[in-house]
Amino acid sequence: MKIISRNLLLFAALLLIYTLLFRFGLGALLTQKKWFWVVIISVLYGGLIFVTALMTGRRDGKENFIFDAGFRWNFTTFVVWGIASEAWFLLGLHSTYESIRAVHITLFIWGGFLFLHFILFLILRRRTIKGVHKTDIFE
Amino acid sequence: MAAKDKMHDELLGAWEETYKKGQLTLWIFLSLKEGPKYVTQLQESIHRFSKGTISAEEQSLYRTLRKFYHLKMVDFSSGKGHKGPDRKYYHLTPLGHSLLQSFVERNILLFFEEPLKELLIT
Repeated sequence: MKIISRNLLLFAALLLIYTLLFRFGLGALLTQKKWFWVVIISVLYGGLIFVTALMTGRRDGKENFIFDAGFRWNFTTFVVWGIASEAWFLLGLHSTYESIRAVHITLFIWGGFLFLHFILFLILRRRTIKGVHKTDIFE
Repeated sequence: MAAKDKMHDELLGAWEETYKKGQLTLWIFLSLKEGPKYVTQLQESIHRFSKGTISAEEQSLYRTLRKFYHLKMVDFSSGKGHKGPDRKYYHLTPLGHSLLQSFVERNILLFFEEPLKELLIT
């Protein structure tokens, strides 16, 4: 049972690639004022993260059996997205239509939800024994 | 008559399917109580003990044993394999033995007492 499992690292790596590609595409499309495509790649980016998280999370559930109510995946997304986005701005790769303020506001609101998610995890953890959910122990 | 038999078999199958859910632990514990076993032996003894009514895939057994090991219900020691690498021989820990005993006393032994015993065999 590992907190930082192979599946979580795979998810983090894929998320980093998606985020860098998304940031690159977003900047280019904003510069060209192609608003429709900005919406399309944003939806695709979100969908891709959701599907990847679902697949790696399910596999991790089978191999790792640690119960975290999805918190590790949410936290990893927060950290990877935050670092990649901040770095994007710090390196000056953003377009003139992008503002670092939007990143900070997103991280602030997301941080609040992440905190609530953590509280939920702590509450649900009462139903576990040594990190394994009681309903998942016996087969 | 054939339709009635078919319905009987279908209902029995559905009942058994539900009944067997959650039984793997009991068969694993009983098999390990008999003595330490590696996964293939465990699989064979579950099949033998249950007279073929319970079968468990090797992957499923590995996963379950890993979980039980994490929860200190089973432990293992390495032993020689036939040809390949060493095998893990699983056995019940004192916690595993105690759990099995409590579970059997509370859920199984009552079937050996009257009036259930009488009702079951008549």
